Amino acid sequence: MSLDLLPGRVAGIVGETGCGKSTLGHSIPRLLPEPPAKVKAGKIVFQGTDLLRLPKWRMPGIRGTGIGMIFQEPINSLNPAFRVGDQIAESVRIRKLRERGLIPGIKPEVKGYDYSKRELPKASDVVTGPFIPPNVSQTIKGRGPPMTREIHAEVLDFLRLVRINDPERIVNLFPHELSGGMRQRIMIAMALSGKPALLIADEPTSALDVTIQAQVLTLMKELMEEVRTSILFISHDLGVIAEMADDLGVMYAGHLVEFGPVGEIFESPRHPYTKALLRSIPNKYKDEGALPSLSGSVPNLSHLPDGCTFHPRCPLARDVCKHKPEPPLAPLPPGPQGLLHKSACFFPEEVPTMP
Amino acid sequence: MGRSWSDLAVFIAKRLAQLVPVLLGVVIITFFFTHIAVSNPCAIWSGPKASPATIDACIRNNHFNDPLPVQFYYYLEGLLSGNWGVDPLFHLPVLPYLLSTFPETLELVLTATAMMIFVGIPLGVVAAASNGRIADHLVRIFYLSGWATPTYIAGVILAIGLGPLLGVTGGDFSTTSAPVPQITHMSVLDAIIALNPSATGDAIVHLILPALALAFLNMGIATRMTRSSMLEILPLDFVKTAKMKGLGDFWVLYKHALRNALITTTTVLGVTAGTMVSGTVVIESIFKWPGIGLYAYDAITGYDFAGTIGVVIFFAIVVVVANMISDILYGILDPRVAWR
Repeated sequence: MSLDLLPGRVAGIVGETGCGKSTLGHSIPRLLPEPPAKVKAGKIVFQGTDLLRLPKWRMPGIRGTGIGMIFQEPINSLNPAFRVGDQIAESVRIRKLRERGLIPGIKPEVKGYDYSKRELPKASDVVTGPFIPPNVSQTIKGRGPPMTREIHAEVLDFLRLVRINDPERIVNLFPHELSGGMRQRIMIAMALSGKPALLIADEPTSALDVTIQAQVLTLMKELMEEVRTSILFISHDLGVIAEMADDLGVMYAGHLVEFGPVGEIFESPRHPYTKALLRSIPNKYKDEGALPSLSGSVPNLSHLPDGCTFHPRCPLARDVCKHKPEPPLAPLPPGPQGLLHKSACFFPEEVPTMP
Repeated sequence: MGRSWSDLAVFIAKRLAQLVPVLLGVVIITFFFTHIAVSNPCAIWSGPKASPATIDACIRNNHFNDPLPVQFYYYLEGLLSGNWGVDPLFHLPVLPYLLSTFPETLELVLTATAMMIFVGIPLGVVAAASNGRIADHLVRIFYLSGWATPTYIAGVILAIGLGPLLGVTGGDFSTTSAPVPQITHMSVLDAIIALNPSATGDAIVHLILPALALAFLNMGIATRMTRSSMLEILPLDFVKTAKMKGLGDFWVLYKHALRNALITTTTVLGVTAGTMVSGTVVIESIFKWPGIGLYAYDAITGYDFAGTIGVVIFFAIVVVVANMISDILYGILDPRVAWR
């Protein structure tokens, strides 16, 4: 599969359970346990470096300030033994030490945007590094050396950034004393506090209950506009992706089958799987009877069918789909908006008239 | 919340109150076992050449002709008033002797526990981090060889093989060569208090091998517990979070993962340290370490009832207190636990 993430844009990835979305997210910062996992081939190019060719000991330097990540379950993603303030402070400290060149690692590009102006950056001034409020707290409180006080002030700033109103109280709490929604906010604050150039959000709202989901999504939506970092947003929920992403990638059985601007894919999907997936969204306003669904399920990733991986379930399948090895993700003729749209189907032009 | 200092005080008080029934049970069991097993040890106590009059006097002095419950009443009365009986051979009071030998054992056990903590736990982390690879196997070989070695063989090899290299001859590891005031009855601590560097060095030399033997035999517990709880912790999301902050492997393993893995290890180590005190009998006899284990051995083989019960009382206290300490540490390590 091939995927280009552009600076300052939000790329959404959707797919069914078990199609490899999370594996994709984890493989970018090389979080998959090796062994058993092994990236056999390919390239992960981040800021000009192929991460797969980087020695393992240099990966920590990429993480945090280069690539940040938000995990699915806030119950497990915070360390139960440390106060949340200290956990965020650790991340801030790493960034500060890197900014000053004291420890090796990617330096965040400090093209900060002045948050106090309270106006959103324009699409034209896309920044590769996110902007973060430079010291919203006027007075630096607390004891200890200046660095510690600076870090403490930033921790409070980041907690305010994720709309936590009483950060002074929250920093002293342990994760188990917070609700799921609060924990996910802390997690988001922690990821942002490294000022990563790329943020991977692996189903950040799937484990939350619906009302909290809406709150966290609204928060993330706002932060995306304010922070302007590149984001890879992984979700199984098409509605969420439609809301959050600029670009959409559809995954099936470990392959990216379609990639393009969200609006265009929702308007005119060019892969039979995407079309089937979109059809399965219930209509809010009227009862249309049983929702159309695809027969069969995602194939086992270690026993993929020959040819196109989707052909056993595809209504458009014919002989060539069964034998010719997987179709490449090819660009389509420009659509109405003239944006790049790719599909991995042998017959993308037939998809609009698919039964 | 159940996590403030006053909660801790209440917790400790409750645990110490639990000592009372435990001690009563221990005293009853040991008293009746010893007195039923050997109903009249006066013939042995008085020696082979004793006159019948001496033996009669001994029986009368120790109430051995009275019914057992009455004998128990006399014993309990003495115990509570601080008279824990006398040693039948030298007629020395038991309690002061216990109080002077117990710290020696405590010193040995604490040193061994420290070795288990500072060597055994990191080895467990190394094993978990390289799960299934060569380092894991090497660590397993190391701790299994400790576990599988009979105490007396490991002890004898160290005492005879390494002892002379450290300048300890005759296999006598009791530090009597350097006379320093016995304040705590812990040889190293006493030498440090006396500000005597050469005595300190000597005491450490004498301590290191018996402690090593004790630690080597029990190392597997610390290593194995750490390894298995680390293997449970490492796949969890918060370890990935720590990695994604940009932390290096060392901090991820030893700060974020080990901190959580320690919670189980501490519990097990506390129990082990408690039982190690009573398990030093063999080690102390091999190294001639003047501790409570050696005393226990002498008391049991010498039909010294007062000494045996006294030793058992100390062992019971140690086990209860060690468990209490590990529970306190458990609460400190895991913020979700309240002291109740």
